[in-house]
Amino acid sequence: MGVEDLAEALGDNIITTTLGKVIGWGRGNSVWPAQFGLACCAIEMMHIAGSRLDIARFGSEAFRASPRQSDLMIVSGRVSQKMAPVLRQVYDQMPDPKWVISMGACASTGGVFNNYALLQGVDKVVPVDVYVPGCPPRPEDLINAVQILQEKIKTAGITPKL
Amino acid sequence: MTLASIATETGVSAGDQWVTVPAAQIREAITAARAEGYDFFGFITCVDHLGRDDGGRPPYSGAGEAESPRFEIVYQLRDLSRRRQLRIRAFLPPQDPVIDSVHDFYGPANWDEREVWDLFGVRFQGHPELTRILLPDDWVGHPLRRDFPVGGDPVDFSQEHEEWQTAPRRA
Amino acid sequence: MADGTKTRLSEPAAEPASPQPSGMTISRDPAHEGGDTILTINFGPHHPSTHGVLRLVVDLDGEVVTRVKPVIGYLHTGIEKTAEALRWQQVVTVTDRHDYLSPLFNNLSYALAVEKLIGVEVPPRAQALRVIMNELCRISSHMIWLGTSGLEMGAISMLWYCLRERDKVLDLNEEISGFRMHTSYIRPGGVSADATPRFLEMCSRFVDEYPKSIDEYEDLLSENPIFKLRTQGIGYLSQEDALRLGQTGPMLRGSGVDWDLRKNAPYSGYEKYDFETAVEDAGDCYARYRVRIKELREATRIIRQALDTLPDGPVNVDDRKMLPPPREELDTSMEALIHHFKLFTEGYSPPVGDSYAAVESGHGENGCYIVSDGTHKPRRVKFRSASFVNLQSTERMALGGMVADMIAIIGTIDAVMGDVDR
Repeated sequence: MGVEDLAEALGDNIITTTLGKVIGWGRGNSVWPAQFGLACCAIEMMHIAGSRLDIARFGSEAFRASPRQSDLMIVSGRVSQKMAPVLRQVYDQMPDPKWVISMGACASTGGVFNNYALLQGVDKVVPVDVYVPGCPPRPEDLINAVQILQEKIKTAGITPKL
Repeated sequence: MTLASIATETGVSAGDQWVTVPAAQIREAITAARAEGYDFFGFITCVDHLGRDDGGRPPYSGAGEAESPRFEIVYQLRDLSRRRQLRIRAFLPPQDPVIDSVHDFYGPANWDEREVWDLFGVRFQGHPELTRILLPDDWVGHPLRRDFPVGGDPVDFSQEHEEWQTAPRRA
Repeated sequence: MADGTKTRLSEPAAEPASPQPSGMTISRDPAHEGGDTILTINFGPHHPSTHGVLRLVVDLDGEVVTRVKPVIGYLHTGIEKTAEALRWQQVVTVTDRHDYLSPLFNNLSYALAVEKLIGVEVPPRAQALRVIMNELCRISSHMIWLGTSGLEMGAISMLWYCLRERDKVLDLNEEISGFRMHTSYIRPGGVSADATPRFLEMCSRFVDEYPKSIDEYEDLLSENPIFKLRTQGIGYLSQEDALRLGQTGPMLRGSGVDWDLRKNAPYSGYEKYDFETAVEDAGDCYARYRVRIKELREATRIIRQALDTLPDGPVNVDDRKMLPPPREELDTSMEALIHHFKLFTEGYSPPVGDSYAAVESGHGENGCYIVSDGTHKPRRVKFRSASFVNLQSTERMALGGMVADMIAIIGTIDAVMGDVDR
């Protein structure tokens, strides 16, 4: 039996792809957020886990309490000067690969509070992958952000980030 | 001593009854107020009167007060049984503002006085633990004072942001 | 550590350092001879059950709590400082954001304070709409409380049920103002927009269906033996302690004190509606649960009465120095144009003075104290925060109990950290 016969016998039972695509597909479809609800945006973040807009159907089944078990940090709310070191510590405790969504105007740029007390944007302490504007953004906006992030993850490949 | 004998000025502002007492007699004033029934805590806060157009003196500072009172400590109290409220004011000078603590009269006064210390720099004599409560422990300055800038990122090409840094001008 | 634009003001020499144990430390307490150790652990600020960014430093003797020290300030936003830099009509937008579960209550307390100072009274239709939106806000606030408290004690399905109802309330918010949360709907001078017929119909339907949902929650929790074991007798606060610690809201009414600002210091037309205050005597977590459930039922009654007796008329004060004229008039009236210009560039200036107005929010007495120096920006805006005061009873309630009960206690206080830290 030659190779051509073998291929014909197996037919459509084999799909060939690259390792990067498979891993990206797996990672992208099972992004588990860490609970990092800070302020008002956290309430809208709770709504995406609710029954009307269920983020579990996109793969984010569980919001893990421990950063060691999560891949995504959704910074939902304003980050004060006192909270910034805590935020960085939680980010550092997450294992690679990890991503950050900055939810809301306060997390992205300081929002309506351009003053001494807040970090004017969480990207001053952690690298952000997706920014979601709004005060607070609708839950649908956040689900859109998670979907954009999933696209980003699926096309990213498996070279480790340096 | 009754509250009326300690008070240097009384009045009604927008339907709220208020009295001004000398800052040195705040504990006697609170004792008198409690005796009259005002034993439920409202809040304690401070107002910084720096840079007002009337020369830095608030309109109602009472007779015999310090030369140019800058800090006004406001105590809001409630009388549950007779359903009424009272506001007690005490004025402090700009240099080294100190006033007696009333934390033993009202439980929540403890945290409110810490907040006034944290944000305004007014010391409360006799407070068990006068430390920063809202800001990080190594913060320098007292943000809610009028000469502390609002901070944040400067907004390019905007005159509005400059206005934030100074006391408001008269319209 | 802070941004470099601050000036170094002259500080008194010795600023007392606050003890800040971080992480886990085992220290020997000299009071415990015989080798006992006190374990100091850190709850938060990143913790699944602390309702936001609350940090509690707890001393434990085994499982028994011997000392609780709340550390707050992780959400300090400088809202009161920002409010001094905004015009009077702009401050309403930041009032939404400090107690983010009761935005409409904060709007109302600020609006009442400004209206008291200026000396205007809003028309009756606006008052009724304010009452409707406030009671809807109370329902949405209690939904988060019930959902998250249930979730933390293990009744995970409560969260899904409560979020389902809260979504309906947010739909109503969106219908009347365009926003789900942070509507800034109630403003000094009235409300931002009139109720559409669709809103009235949606609200009426919601109020008819909601009592069945409350029955569902009670079915799940009220006679549930596990829930009762975790809440009855836990977090006891006596009447004297509640009054001494200045508690308000369900914390006070759960300990037997019949004090509700809607009845005892009514505002915005609440005296017209027939409802009961929810008071329980037991003083524990279960009593406060029953108080809040009763408040939900009474809120539905109030909304039903307000909808049935909604008067006609304008929804804003007819004062051109406070609110802009209708846009059609700008084409024909010079005066209207000047008022519009003045209001949008500079804003109005209340007379010199100060005023304080408090409302009964879902958490307690939320008030707003404003000081005006006659200019178009406030001199001081202070928010009297119910959560800031209520949180101070944590130690009293948790001492002597088990560490697992701390979760039930934090849940029952229902403190919103945005309000605590402002």
